[in-house]
Amino acid sequence: MSWKPTDSFAPVSRLGRTLAFRLTAGYALAGLLLVLLATASLYLLTVTEMERGTRLFIADKFNVLRTLLRERPNDWEALHEEIELETAARRYEQFYIRLLDERNQPLLVTPGMEERLDLGQLTRQSGTHPGRTLRMKGRNGRIFRVATATAPVGSPPAQTDTIQIAIDVSQQEEFLQRYRLWFFSILLGTFVALPLIGYQIARRGIRPVEDMAATARRISSTNLRERILPDGYPFELASLAGTFNQMLDRLEDSFERISRFSADIAHDLRTPVNNIRGEAEVGLARARTITEYREVLESCLEEAVRLSDLIGDLLFLARAESPFAHVRRESVNIVELLDGMREYYEASAAEAGVSLTTSANRAPVIAQLDRTLVQRAVSNLVSNAVAHTPPGGSVVLAASSEGSAVHIEVSDTGVGIPSEALPKVFDRFFRLDSSRSQASGGTGLGLAIVQGIMLLHGGKVEIASQLGQGTRVTLYMPVAEQGHAQWSITT
Amino acid sequence: MTRIPAAALTAESVRMRTLVIEDEVKTAKFLKKGLSESGFSVEVSGDGLDGLHLALEVEFDLVILDVMIPSLDGWGVLMLLRQAGRQTPVLFLTARDAIHERVRGLELGADDYLVKPFAFSELLARVRSLLRRGPQRPQEVIRMADLEIDLRRQRVTRSGQRLELTFKEFLLLSLLAQHAGEVLSRTLIAEAVWDMNFDSDTNVVDVNVRRLRSKVDDPFPQKLIRTVRGAGYVMEAD
Repeated sequence: MSWKPTDSFAPVSRLGRTLAFRLTAGYALAGLLLVLLATASLYLLTVTEMERGTRLFIADKFNVLRTLLRERPNDWEALHEEIELETAARRYEQFYIRLLDERNQPLLVTPGMEERLDLGQLTRQSGTHPGRTLRMKGRNGRIFRVATATAPVGSPPAQTDTIQIAIDVSQQEEFLQRYRLWFFSILLGTFVALPLIGYQIARRGIRPVEDMAATARRISSTNLRERILPDGYPFELASLAGTFNQMLDRLEDSFERISRFSADIAHDLRTPVNNIRGEAEVGLARARTITEYREVLESCLEEAVRLSDLIGDLLFLARAESPFAHVRRESVNIVELLDGMREYYEASAAEAGVSLTTSANRAPVIAQLDRTLVQRAVSNLVSNAVAHTPPGGSVVLAASSEGSAVHIEVSDTGVGIPSEALPKVFDRFFRLDSSRSQASGGTGLGLAIVQGIMLLHGGKVEIASQLGQGTRVTLYMPVAEQGHAQWSITT
Repeated sequence: MTRIPAAALTAESVRMRTLVIEDEVKTAKFLKKGLSESGFSVEVSGDGLDGLHLALEVEFDLVILDVMIPSLDGWGVLMLLRQAGRQTPVLFLTARDAIHERVRGLELGADDYLVKPFAFSELLARVRSLLRRGPQRPQEVIRMADLEIDLRRQRVTRSGQRLELTFKEFLLLSLLAQHAGEVLSRTLIAEAVWDMNFDSDTNVVDVNVRRLRSKVDDPFPQKLIRTVRGAGYVMEAD
C-alpha cells in the first residue's frame, strides 16, 4: 500500500466528526472560558481595590501634613509625630515620609527611608509627575508606591515645602503573585480536567444511541423481531426508540405481507403452469384423434391466457406502487363513465338475474382523472358485485361530489363479507372462497388493483358490508390533482 | 378504437414481405408459422446485426422487432434503419412495458409496440393495420351468406328477415363482420364496442356474444359467429 499524505490526517478528521468529540470540545471550551473570566475578573478587581486603598492612604497623609504645615507651621512636635513615629508603629505596609524645604533640603525624614530607597531617583521620578502615585523598586528588592506633593507653609504661606511619601507594597505584590500562581494552576487544572469530565458526560449521553445502533445492526430480514427496550432511556431517546420500534413493526408487517404474497404468487403461477404441463404430457403420452389434440391445445391456451392476465395484473400493481407511477389525467364526467359501465355489464347482470342501475341523480360529476384507470377500478367493483349477488338482487352505481372530492359508490344486495375478513379484502390474492373465485376466473387481485388505482389518484377506498345484506364500496378521489396529498387508506 | 374494414385485406396481404428479428427460437417459429398461414411471406433473423443487414438489403413491407436481441438491440436496429432512410413500418415486441420504454420506441420511429405475452390475434390485427395504406372508403353494406348489415342505417337483416338488435349488439356484429375471418380477442372487442381500454372482466364479452348469437345465429341453420377457445371470436361464412 502506498503512503498517502492525507492518511495521517484521516483519523483526526474522523475524530472531529464524532459526536463525543464535539460535545467534549464544547464542554471544555465553555468551562475554560468561564473559569478564565471568573479568575481574571477577580484578579483585576483585587488589583484595582488595592491600588485604590494605597492612593487613598497617600492622599489622606498629604492632607494631614498639608493641614499641619498650613495651620501650625512651627509645630515640629506634631510633624515629628506624623512623619517619624507613626510609621514606626506599623508592622505591615510600612510607609515613609520625607519633608523637603524650598531648596530641596530635607527637614524631616522617616527613619530607615534612606536605607530602603534611592531618594535621588524618587525626587527625579516623582518630581516630573507631581500628585501621581508611581511604582518604584527599593534598594533590597522591595516594591514601593511613591508620590510627591507641594504644601504651602503657614497662612498666608511664607514658603512652599515638598512632601514625599513612599509606601512599601511588597506584601500586596506578593499576595498578587500568589494569586496569579493560583490562577494559572486553576486554569491548568480545568484545562486537564474539563475535557476528561466532558468526555465522560458525552460518552454517557451517547451510550443509549450506541445501544440503539447496535440493536439496529443486529436487525436483518431474518431477525426482524428484535426491539429496543424503551426503559431506562432519557425522554428524548425513549421517543426515538419508540419511533424506531414502530418502524420495525411496519417493516415486519411489510415483510410478512411480501413473503405471504410471494407464496401466493408461487401458488397462483403454479396452478396454470401445472395444468399446461400435465395436459400436454398426458396428451402426448399416446396417439389421439385430432379433436382430442385440439382440446388439449385449447385448454393450454386458456391457461396461458390466465397466466398472462395474472402477470399483467401483478405488473400493474407493481407499477401503481412505484413512486414514479404517473397518471394521465383528463376531465371525466363520472356519471357518463358509470353509464358506460352499466351498458357494459347490463347483459351479464340480466343473465345473472340481477338488476344493474345507476342512481337517479343525473347532475354531472366532473373530476380530473385517468379515465382508463378509473374505468378499470369501477369495472372490478361491478364485476365483483354482480358475481356475488344472488338472482333477484340489485347493484346500484352512484356518483356524487362533495367539496374537493368525488365519490363513486357501488352497492349490492349480495352475500356480503364477514366482518373479520373486511380488513383483508384489499390484500393481494385474498379470496373469501378460493374454490369459487378460481372457477370464476378472478386472479384475487381485483380489489388490490382498485386500491392501487385510488393510491395513484391520491384517493382512498372504503368498504362496508353486512353478511347476507350486501356490500357497499366507496371510492374517494380528489377532484383536481393535488401535489402530494396524503390520503390514508382505510378499510 | 380500431375500425378495420375487412374487404381486400387477405388479397392485399398475399405478397406482403415481413421480417421477424427475434432470437427466442420458439417465438420466432410461431410468428413465422402464424404469419405465413395468414398470407404473409416471412423471413426470420435471430440477431440484431444480421437482421439490420437483411432489412437494408431487401425491401420489406414490415419489420417485427424484438428489443432484447444479441449483437445489436432493437433500439439500435431501429435507429440505424431510420438513419439509413428506410421508412419500413416497425412493430416492436417487448417484455417490458414501462411507459418510458414505449415512448422511447415510438420516439425512435417505431410505428407500434406490443407487450409480451401477447395474443397472436392481437399481433395480426396490429400488423394488418400497419400495412393498410391510405384511407379506405368505409363500406356501407356488409354481406355475409344471407346476412346483410347496413352500416349507415344501422339495420341488420338475415334471410330477408329484420333482426332487432340493441345499439351495442349492432356495434359488436359490425365489428365482427368488418373483420371477417380474423380472430378478435375479448379485450379488443371490449375496447372497440364498450371503450374499455384494459383487460376487464372478459366474461362480459362472452355474455354479449351469446346474446348476439341468440338473435343472429340461433334461429338459422348456418352459424356465422364461431368461438375460438382461448383466443376470442371470429365471424365467417364457411
